[in-house]
Amino acid sequence: MALILTRGGFALPGTSLNFKTGTWRVQKPYHRHLSAPCHAVCPAGEDAQAYIAKVDEGHFQQAWETLVAVNPLPAVTGRVCHHPCESACNRGQFDEPLAIHKIERLLGDQAIEQGWAYPVEKPRKSALRVAVVGAGPAGLSAAYHLVRRGYNVTLFDQLPEPGGILRTALPAYRLPRLVLDAEVGRLLAVGIDFRPHHRLGRDVSLDELKADYSAVFLGPGDQKSREWSIDGVVQRDLHVGLDLLKEWVAMGSVPQCKSVAIVGGGNTAIDLSRILKRAGVGEVHVVTHQALPGPDIPKEEAMSAIRREIDQALEEGVVIHTHRGIRRLILRGEKVVGVELVHMKKMEKGGKKQTIAFEGTETVLHVDQVIPAVGQEVDPFGMETLLHQKNAFEVDHWGRIAGQDGIFVGGDARTGSSGTVSGAIGDGRRAAEAIDAFLREDKAPEENEAPTLAFERLNLNYYEHAPRQREVVLPVDKRLGCEEIEGGLSISQVSLEARRCFSCGNCFACDNCWTLCPDQAVLKTKELASDGSHYVFDYDYCKGCGLCANECPCGFIAVEEEI
Amino acid sequence: MTADTAPSIPDLRNSQLRFRAMESGHRACLGCGQALAARLVTESAGPDVMIANATGCLEIFTTPWPESAWRIPWMHSLFENTGAIASGMEAALKAQGKSTKVIAQGGDGGTFDIGFQALSGMLERGHNVLYVCYDNEAYMNTGIQRSSSTPHAAMTTTSPPGKERMGKRHLKKDIISIIAAHHIPYAATASVAYPSDLRKKVRRALAIEGPTFLQIHAPCPLGWGHEGDQSIAVARLAVQTGLFPIIELERGRLAGAMPLRDIKPVTDYLKAQQRFRHLFQDDPRAREELEHLQALADHNIEVYGLRGEAPDKLDSEGADTVQRGGVRWA
Repeated sequence: MALILTRGGFALPGTSLNFKTGTWRVQKPYHRHLSAPCHAVCPAGEDAQAYIAKVDEGHFQQAWETLVAVNPLPAVTGRVCHHPCESACNRGQFDEPLAIHKIERLLGDQAIEQGWAYPVEKPRKSALRVAVVGAGPAGLSAAYHLVRRGYNVTLFDQLPEPGGILRTALPAYRLPRLVLDAEVGRLLAVGIDFRPHHRLGRDVSLDELKADYSAVFLGPGDQKSREWSIDGVVQRDLHVGLDLLKEWVAMGSVPQCKSVAIVGGGNTAIDLSRILKRAGVGEVHVVTHQALPGPDIPKEEAMSAIRREIDQALEEGVVIHTHRGIRRLILRGEKVVGVELVHMKKMEKGGKKQTIAFEGTETVLHVDQVIPAVGQEVDPFGMETLLHQKNAFEVDHWGRIAGQDGIFVGGDARTGSSGTVSGAIGDGRRAAEAIDAFLREDKAPEENEAPTLAFERLNLNYYEHAPRQREVVLPVDKRLGCEEIEGGLSISQVSLEARRCFSCGNCFACDNCWTLCPDQAVLKTKELASDGSHYVFDYDYCKGCGLCANECPCGFIAVEEEI
Repeated sequence: MTADTAPSIPDLRNSQLRFRAMESGHRACLGCGQALAARLVTESAGPDVMIANATGCLEIFTTPWPESAWRIPWMHSLFENTGAIASGMEAALKAQGKSTKVIAQGGDGGTFDIGFQALSGMLERGHNVLYVCYDNEAYMNTGIQRSSSTPHAAMTTTSPPGKERMGKRHLKKDIISIIAAHHIPYAATASVAYPSDLRKKVRRALAIEGPTFLQIHAPCPLGWGHEGDQSIAVARLAVQTGLFPIIELERGRLAGAMPLRDIKPVTDYLKAQQRFRHLFQDDPRAREELEHLQALADHNIEVYGLRGEAPDKLDSEGADTVQRGGVRWA
């Protein structure tokens, strides 16, 4: 660094620099990078603060690289994720949360458009081989993170094309197929050996995989619909929610009827209700014993579907009956002509949670079809020896099964899964880390999470209110086919949005400490920088007043006792 | 930057891209508002200045013999004659045909009280000098005695609250109006809580040929009774409550005022300082003084038209907004 001496006389022997006021200090300021709330809650483990900082600097490709170091499918998750990051965003307590998922989506889309290469090297031929079963979000994520760590990966899937649930069950109005094909295609091209038409237990066995590969990751998802009946009664032409959804996604058709009741409160129920509406079904009812999700509703009492999707379904004319259950199927012969609804709520009774029906609240709903969408479980085919009759895999945080060295599981197939795409992507990444540790015979990985920066630690005086950028949404009367409903933000909108970020817990080089230190004890290492931590404390002169910590907008400076 | 290529701290200090007129190593207390204000003033003024410094904390803590924190020509005379000394320096420079600007600086004691006559003369004679008053509202250097700048009802060692009085009996002298009455080209108030505004005003004043005046509100943690890390927070509240209006006067006329977006009750400001502690006891006189101080703030808001009409990027909320990369509006 060149010495830049500004004008001004300076008699060195007589300067006050001889007097080290740092000796007065009883406490000292230091830089401390805390986790932003968006980072702490992301099921995939994304550090949104980190990539939004890059966007704010104008480095979009670097932002994307930061993002895909954790989640290789941002164009997908930017569209389908329920973005808990935005619910946790500290800015939500100030004006409106950042549109994090829109920034993520733009970065994903830009990467596809500009052909940015994944920051990954092709594994060496001699590297160890790992098998990944299931090319859904968990499997794709695991495969990618294993390649990043230098392993040769073979990815098996029973279907002709990769994507898993993203391809088979997500309607194109939520996730356009062009985006899915582009992003997954680019992901496989990093050097993943993809083997379609391979079903575990039919085309390849678990024992073969164990013999041929150093480790195995299973991301089979939930392929089997849960049993459903009303007191043992089922209509003859029973269709199951997820199967219908898959049928529509694959073929674009569903059985015709005039009115339908869908049972369930999850994303499958909501997706299906909207699809039936598009297919011309006059009346579509969703029956759930849960409540509409909202800030005051405990998570376990709320529908598990994404609020945004529920709102759009309501806009499109779907009727949702909350806190209702089906008491009785009204059949003529073996065909449904209606259902008897009853007020229902999940409550504590006799020491355990039960769904209780309240007598005297029965009403009749005339529909000619009832479709259960009450959840899925693992199809044990080919994995019976691991499941022991259970309907999900018992694994630890890293996807390890007790007593099964070298086998890892993630995604919907594990117990306690959040049932989300981003959760599965996080599972895949963690399992890849665990596999890496296992193969290097290293000790088990550790989650190194910094504490989260609380809203109260921000100094809000230094931030200005600014409205959240809005996307274009397809009007209800135009939502007939597969056209995507929610638009993205433009590059300039995303830049404005990134400027709104509080940068919780991480320096954004605002110069406050440098400007406000009464003792010139904060020095800058660069004349102008927009990344963090390029300030240095000169402890020779810092008196430890703590002004910098108090006036740091984002909680990056803390004070600790020195004596 | 790796450890090998990183410059040493002294090298780093010498390559900071700002003018360091007042160096580290001075003996100001922790979190001193005046040290910060003086640093901001001199770094925005640049190297082509000379300083006449009144007696006071700033003079004492920057120049303990045999050291000096100043990198610019700097002269200390007496408590009462800073205005006269600055006048003489300016006249001498003028006679030599030099354009070096003279800055006179003093505390509220040296400005409002002891040096007032010399200051008034300097303004009256129209010397090309910027006079900066660091207003910390009492004689802090000698042990927190009241000055004519001490706000009403504040506790000092010479205005203690007790049976007879609730702190200082008299009002804070309206110095800016008195200065403005000299019909000088530019007089303004500023606060350390708004450094961009402060720097802009220094540059604006220095660009003017003729006498200019700047009154800077600078908290004294020791005298006001708050922790050093609260200096900016307290100074900010003084502005946000309306007790210290941020204004500009040109030729005696109000030319600008920082609008207040969210006006805070004066108790927010008073509570933060021990010098107003006696106003929060259960005493009807204390309640009356709180109302009195609120009325003084309301009066300021009214006469200077401080109430903002809509969010403004230069109002009391917007003026201190920071951005990535350290970009400020001034």
